[in-house]
Amino acid sequence: MTDGPLIVQSDKTLLLEVDHELAAECRQAIAPFAELERAPEHIHTYRLTPLGLWNARAAGHDAEGVVDILLRYSRYSVPHALLVDVADTMGRYGRLQLQMDPAHGLVLHAFDRAVLEEVLRSKKIEPLVGARIDDDTVVVHASERGHMKQVLLKLGWPAEDLAGYVDGEAHAITLREEGWQVRGYQREAVENFWHGGSGVVVLPCGAGKTIVGAAAMATAGATTLILVTNTVSARQWRSELLKRTSLTEAEIGEYSGTVKDIRPVTIATYQVMTTRRKGLYQHLELFDARDWGLIIYDEVHLLPAPIFRFTADIQARRRLGLTATLVREDGREGDVFSLIGPKRYDAPWKDIEAQGYIAPADCVEVRVTLDDSERLVYATAEPEERYRLAASTQRKYRVVDALIAKHPEEHILVIGQYLDQLHELGARLQAPVITGEMPVKERERLFEAFRTGEVRVLVVSKVANFSVDLPDAGVAIQVSGSFGSRQEEAQRLGRVLRPKADGRTARFYAVVARDTVDADFAAHRQRFLAEQGYAYRIIDADDLLYGTP
Amino acid sequence: MLSAVTTNAVNWPPTLMSRKFVQMATEGTSGSTPSRRSTDSPRPRSLAEDLRARSDDDLGALLRARPDLLHPVPADLGALATRATTGPSTSRAMDRLDVFELQVVTALAALTEPASLTDLLTALPETDVTHLRPVIDRLRALALLWGTDEDLRLIRPVREALGTYPAGLGPLMADSRRGVARYANDPTEVDRVLADAPEGAVEALDRLAWGPPIGRVEAANRQVDVANARTPIDWLLAQHLLEPQGSDTVIVPREVAMARRGGVVVRDLRPDPPVVEVTERSAELVDRTSGQQAFTFVRLVEDLLELWSAAPPAVLRSGGLSVRDLGRAATTLDLDEEAAALVIEVAYAAGLLGADGEIDEAWTPTPAYDVWLTRSVAERWTMLAQTWLLMTRTPILIAGRDDAGSRVNALARDLDRSGTPEARRALLDELVHLGPGESPSPVSLFIRLRWRRPRRTSPLWQAVVESTPEEAERIGVTGLGALSAHGRALLDTTTPEEASAEARASARMPGRTPAPAQVVSALEAVLPRPLDHVLLQADLTAVAPGPLENELAREMTLIADVESTGGATVYRFSDASIRRALDAGRSANEIVSFLVTHSRTAMPQPLEYLINDAARRHGALRVGLASAYIRCDDPGIVSELLVDRRLASLRMIRLADTVIATTSPIDIVLERFREAGYAPSAENSEGAVVVRRRDERRTPPRPRPPRLSVEPPAASAALVSAAVRALRAGETAAEHRPAAMPEGAGSGRLPRSTTTEAVTALRTALDAQRAIWIGYADSTGTMTERVVEPLRLDGGFLTAYDLRTAEVRTFTVARITGVAAVARAAD
Repeated sequence: MTDGPLIVQSDKTLLLEVDHELAAECRQAIAPFAELERAPEHIHTYRLTPLGLWNARAAGHDAEGVVDILLRYSRYSVPHALLVDVADTMGRYGRLQLQMDPAHGLVLHAFDRAVLEEVLRSKKIEPLVGARIDDDTVVVHASERGHMKQVLLKLGWPAEDLAGYVDGEAHAITLREEGWQVRGYQREAVENFWHGGSGVVVLPCGAGKTIVGAAAMATAGATTLILVTNTVSARQWRSELLKRTSLTEAEIGEYSGTVKDIRPVTIATYQVMTTRRKGLYQHLELFDARDWGLIIYDEVHLLPAPIFRFTADIQARRRLGLTATLVREDGREGDVFSLIGPKRYDAPWKDIEAQGYIAPADCVEVRVTLDDSERLVYATAEPEERYRLAASTQRKYRVVDALIAKHPEEHILVIGQYLDQLHELGARLQAPVITGEMPVKERERLFEAFRTGEVRVLVVSKVANFSVDLPDAGVAIQVSGSFGSRQEEAQRLGRVLRPKADGRTARFYAVVARDTVDADFAAHRQRFLAEQGYAYRIIDADDLLYGTP
Repeated sequence: MLSAVTTNAVNWPPTLMSRKFVQMATEGTSGSTPSRRSTDSPRPRSLAEDLRARSDDDLGALLRARPDLLHPVPADLGALATRATTGPSTSRAMDRLDVFELQVVTALAALTEPASLTDLLTALPETDVTHLRPVIDRLRALALLWGTDEDLRLIRPVREALGTYPAGLGPLMADSRRGVARYANDPTEVDRVLADAPEGAVEALDRLAWGPPIGRVEAANRQVDVANARTPIDWLLAQHLLEPQGSDTVIVPREVAMARRGGVVVRDLRPDPPVVEVTERSAELVDRTSGQQAFTFVRLVEDLLELWSAAPPAVLRSGGLSVRDLGRAATTLDLDEEAAALVIEVAYAAGLLGADGEIDEAWTPTPAYDVWLTRSVAERWTMLAQTWLLMTRTPILIAGRDDAGSRVNALARDLDRSGTPEARRALLDELVHLGPGESPSPVSLFIRLRWRRPRRTSPLWQAVVESTPEEAERIGVTGLGALSAHGRALLDTTTPEEASAEARASARMPGRTPAPAQVVSALEAVLPRPLDHVLLQADLTAVAPGPLENELAREMTLIADVESTGGATVYRFSDASIRRALDAGRSANEIVSFLVTHSRTAMPQPLEYLINDAARRHGALRVGLASAYIRCDDPGIVSELLVDRRLASLRMIRLADTVIATTSPIDIVLERFREAGYAPSAENSEGAVVVRRRDERRTPPRPRPPRLSVEPPAASAALVSAAVRALRAGETAAEHRPAAMPEGAGSGRLPRSTTTEAVTALRTALDAQRAIWIGYADSTGTMTERVVEPLRLDGGFLTAYDLRTAEVRTFTVARITGVAAVARAAD
């Protein structure tokens, strides 16, 4: 029996023993083709998925290499069926290629005639293709390049897109590395992306995705369209770009609900792009407004469905997706793969943390017990009301008080879902409350005040979930959330995971009501955080309030 | 069939055209007085005579090779010869011939009987005597061929099996058709005539020369002559190179065909088996891979049966398992349906699974499953693998269509195919010839097997053969395609003989026979060592980085849910799983301390919190079993009832101030209350609470499903030697009474022995494993004589194998009238 660090399970998960001496080496080896699913303290779980294998294939790994790695590091013998499956799956990628034919334009070329026959027989492919050029090649309507890739992926024969990219309108952009430097992994991410043409870079919150974007722009040296989730985030991109690159204010335009400014580098929000008037997307022309050389999608996992549709039409432009996670709540990972591109870079959170770029975090769940009258109300409430009742129990307020008192020096974010709860808390803590109702300008001012230390405690709603950089928040207290979404959790944790100047531990408190749905949702969160490898503790509110925690 | 008589002797090929008129020897019973002869004795005149001349070892070899001859054991060698020349038995023997052997047989069939070895060599110029000799010996050993090297004779059914035109040769025609005679006299004449042939004639002739020798033409018997032949066929007919046969067929006379063939009867000889392409793997890796798979297969069977013991799927009215239930099992086991069907069928054939016989019949584990569970993994696997090797169940039929066009279900009644074990075995035997770690390419293996068994062409045989490598891999007999050490041991120890021995012992309960030690130890050497620890993690999982010791595994399965399996097992703790452990009587402290003891890592705080949290809520609601309740608004009366001695037998429990529960039936409660002077009124029956426990269901004891036994079971060594002795005894029976006949033997009767003598003699025979004559009075008082092979002697009963009827039966010792040793042929 060899004593490798890896155990291959029959359900296509790979278990990696972290403390094994070969663990680091093995992790490097399997990272290209296996998705890290859970990373708790001792055994990390990776999963082999078709998308993961195709991602690896797109990055130039072949089945033989994957099989070899599995055999080399595996402690026990690897199920033969699984090896066959890996080879089969990987063999499916690239049998079809999208190419640019000098005479016929975009064509689909097959290296396996049977596969071509199979896909051409599909009803969904039929409207996308034109004349058959020869036995192995068929014309694809240029406008259907993205759609074609989507359909082929669904049919299980993902095509390799070698049809190339337009350079776009050149626009010199350089990085100004003054007092800071592009980190090693960021550089690697950009190189991988550029080499691959299009694709997604996966980096945890706080690991400097904006820098990756900026570096990619510098590499492209072309006009760039940046799509971000909201206006606040747009402003942050703008200020980061001004700080880190040679770009000047005049070169950066904002395209949002209030301003519609198209410049060599334009930052647009998903919201404005997906606004419809009379059933028509008004701002679609932005994609064609300039000859963009690069399109950056921030937070790819939130990319709304209509954007996918636009994206399908601009497959000739280089696309860079940035995200903390490829997991989409709507399960459209396949669309990301075929329309934005395969994953080009991924770094496990804990590794980056170990390099000191993310603050270590301590996650604590504080459980409060509802009082008898609240329990009675809860027990008889309608199911859809239950979460709100449990989440907004009065009992949580005292806990929040105690937690804030416990960290007198820290900048604290109190995060919640329900507006009345937030306002009540705001009043109680005498802290400003930021919600979606607040004008962007005012929001920005408050965030700025928080950053400078003028405001120590901030009560925020879910508007703060995304792309708001609050580097100095050392403590986050979550009083209610949106039903235990994993992705929301990643975001919230991201709020407090920015590197702290003094390297102190960030804290993430979740206050939940015991024996209610609130606690059930908390269990999802707990699992997610523990799977990400964060220390997680559960304490009683009573211990916090009256005893020694 | 070659029976024409030639009048003119020609030079070559000798037996083809020689003027021997040979009467086919009547094979079989024609033997007259038995005589012992050595090999250099005169030529045998029949197969029976040939057999008589054979040694015991040779006879034993014949019986081993053709075990169907033993059922029942023939009375004497004459009867054996008769049986050996029946069509079905011959056909069965021919099925085992390889391509080359069949080519030799074909050549022999085409030669005039009897042929000599020299004739044969002339007919098969591509080969030589060193290649031919072993084939002749084997054919002789199989009794398909008899006679000396100068006088080789095929038995009649072999000739018949090769059809009218053996080796594609038509009949000799020189005698019946005058025009052909000139070719018989001088074969070179054929070429001379052909030298003037019109275009196309040579080609047309040569198409038929290598057979089949007949062609279809219109008006074959038309008048033609060379001068005005319009077509090449006309010309050939006119030259008598083709002869009409009926009105629309022409045939090439053998004389002509042989001339065109240059004297070769069979060409393209293939004396050597096709090469199997192999990939070299490390033998150690092969053993490890297949050991792992063996472990997995055992676990799959266990998982399946655990699943079905809790929720047994229904038996379809047609007898099988529904498609949906198969799909469900496949999903639960994380297999595709084909693999799941194999697990199900093997479990069924091993007798671990059966229909429970209830009204709503369901597929349920049998009690044998519980016995099986107590064995070690290696023993469990060995039993499953042996079952697979020998089972006539044919899983590849599942999901196909039956004759009526409906889908074949798993566990369907008609999944048994008698040829399946042989096909499976034939393929695996090819693996045995390869070295350790040599992984053959399946295609080359199939080609080799087609050479080995050319007569096996049925689609089912092909399908079974082609599915075997995959099945062997799934079960863990092979790893990475190569036979593993334990797989090899399995094939060594599991021969069809074991199957027949087992069938004879007719074990009522499967799984009782011990697994062969070689297999178990070979497998144990490669199975991963069971671990005594797990790793606990903060995400509420525990990982066992290898197989766990049995007890630990069971406890872990109780406390946590299995999330993924394979080399390791991932367990997930949840509220529900902890509650299950609490329900099973574990306390929170016990669970925590159990985990702390068996974990290599520290107990994560959230896990401890989860356990305590579950324990805190556990039991807040109490549910009990009662069959009646008593309620009364006055707590005073309730108290009174509880202290009333006359009611003590009702065993009442006070649940609340005004409520009592009792396990006594409601009618008894009412009766007792009334007797004690109370006036209860009954409430309607909806008050009764019945709590059901999770039932683990089992079938009543079930024997293994019978193997389909169209194929005779192979013969064990003991049976063969006993049979040979019995045959010899049968031979001598006519003249000689049993040797060593005690004094006082009546004429033609066995001696009367006392019971003590009989028991002593039987015991001796039992110990020596020898057959013995017994006189036996059956229940009607009829006296019979039998030759039996004692198997067991106890309690006044003799269990013995009766060589004449070929069955195991029980004799009452008291009714045995006499015993005598069997005259041994060699004595």
